Amino acid sequence: MAAKKTRTPNVDNDSWVVIAAESVTDTQKHDSDPAFVRLRNPSTDAASLYMLGSGDVQLYEVKAFEGDFHSWFVGQTVQRDGKLLFVTPMDPLYLILPYLIKSGKEGKFQPVDQVVTDEEFPACSRLLSCTRSLASMHHIAEEKEVGSLKFHRYSQEKTMDWLKKKVERTVIALKKRNISVGDGVKSTTYVKVKSESDSNEEDYLRYAHGLISEYISEDLSKALLSHLHLPELTSPKKTEPPSKKRKLSDNPVEAGEDYTKFNSADFARKPPKKMTTAQKSLAKVDKTGMKPLSSFFSPKVKAENK
Amino acid sequence: MDLSPFEADNSVSCRLASVIPDACRTEDCCLGIDEAGRGPVLGPMVYGICFCPVSKKEELKALKVADSKTLTEAEREKLFQNLDEAKSYVGWAVNILSPNVISTCMLQRTKYNLNTLSHDTAIGLVQYALDNGVQLKEVFVDTVGPAEKYEAKLSQLFPGIEVTVRPKADSLFPIVSAASICAKVARDRVVKGWNFAEDLGDVDADYGSGYPGDPKTKAWLLKYLDPVFGYPQFVRFSWSTAQTLLDSKAVTVHWDDEEEDGEKAAQRKNNRSMLSYFNASAGGNSQTPTHQTHRFFTERRLKSLDTL
Repeated sequence: MAAKKTRTPNVDNDSWVVIAAESVTDTQKHDSDPAFVRLRNPSTDAASLYMLGSGDVQLYEVKAFEGDFHSWFVGQTVQRDGKLLFVTPMDPLYLILPYLIKSGKEGKFQPVDQVVTDEEFPACSRLLSCTRSLASMHHIAEEKEVGSLKFHRYSQEKTMDWLKKKVERTVIALKKRNISVGDGVKSTTYVKVKSESDSNEEDYLRYAHGLISEYISEDLSKALLSHLHLPELTSPKKTEPPSKKRKLSDNPVEAGEDYTKFNSADFARKPPKKMTTAQKSLAKVDKTGMKPLSSFFSPKVKAENK
Repeated sequence: MDLSPFEADNSVSCRLASVIPDACRTEDCCLGIDEAGRGPVLGPMVYGICFCPVSKKEELKALKVADSKTLTEAEREKLFQNLDEAKSYVGWAVNILSPNVISTCMLQRTKYNLNTLSHDTAIGLVQYALDNGVQLKEVFVDTVGPAEKYEAKLSQLFPGIEVTVRPKADSLFPIVSAASICAKVARDRVVKGWNFAEDLGDVDADYGSGYPGDPKTKAWLLKYLDPVFGYPQFVRFSWSTAQTLLDSKAVTVHWDDEEEDGEKAAQRKNNRSMLSYFNASAGGNSQTPTHQTHRFFTERRLKSLDTL
């Protein structure tokens, strides 16, 4: 019995609820088990969790569904975090790309196993065992063969074409899945009366570009945007509300050449005084049918006041 | 009184009723309403109605039904026997509101309080009598909440019936006393032979009166507190006795309709302090997010992880 009122930190979280591609559990052919690995996230440059299938032949990304108030009942136990992990196949080229770009600045052809090294994430070399890695290297690099050795050099041009294809394929997938890409719709459960046909091609392209940008660096994302001939959106920051105050000068707006005002009685006009909260609320009171206080005084005084 | 329909599933409410006497279908009738088990933290709340032809009121008095609170359990059983034997002119019905129903009503998202639940149950039973052809002319009710309001509510719902709501109606009108005996007998029997839906092994049945003040009841509540699930369905979770114990002894559970302290909730929802808008540029620059996850993922609440 835990007599605690605060949320206790996760102590022994030795189980997870996972939905994984069937290929993850296919361990027949290889001797090693699939394993979670920490690798450099190409988009954030920080550590993210990935999974390598048995024999490192396939890379998977790990995403977690996290709601605010969820827990699991697993068999006869309760798991306090209601996380649902998704392990889905991923193209290893996305993770190899940052290393290639980095070494590409030297402009030399290099063997990939020298390029894809990372002191912080030593597991990154295992990416090269994935069946898709070496075979698809030509999408992002120029290749040179010297004898039995292969050398690679990063190519921005090739990479852009490759990413463009990715975007186009994503568009197809988005359309097939009926994913709403327009600006207006925020909720996936909201059923639109009109079908998606009113979302135009640019909406799809932008959405797909945004999705692909989750897997590439910001620089590449920008380059890809212009490669797709999409102008950059200059939308105001969503996190800050637009400034509602318009600059007002203290002086009332008046015609500059109106000299009549100098003749009127209220020439010596004072700037409006700031009202207290109580005064403001009083000012809002419905005054219809109410006599002004000044009316109770003699007409002479009234005239003076005006 | 055959309790088997309720015992088959005591997680929901159940209505038990006598056969409607023929006399009640032809003659003008009076009807009394009373409840049993409003206060206890354990067991069901039972609503009872009793009805008989207005002409038989004196005969009902002769059965010596009296305010059930002054009677022992054995006396109540005896009186219920008498009522049952007078089935040629006395009819009754009870609605057993299971503790689970009381808990879920009072703790649901849109709160449904005990008074409303009581009123609705009473109304349901009157409607039941009407639907079965009982010629109702007078209804007597022991009050729940302010008497005038309740009386107005019932009069409006049942035009043509003279409704009398009085505090202590069960000692003033024999028909209400009779109803209270039906309700109390039903509650006594249900509580005594409670079928625990949970697998608790041999349950210690020594839970006392079930009222929050009873030390036996308190001891029982402590004994059967599960850190994860709390209590068996026999306990009214909505009672503060139960809630206080759960708060201090059981694992904390957070629900999304829970009212959190403003600051805590804001922190959890990543809200920015109002103050941050005042120190103009400094507030904006201090936390520029380097990376904003695409809405495909945020809308689906999907995140990357860096560790398991």
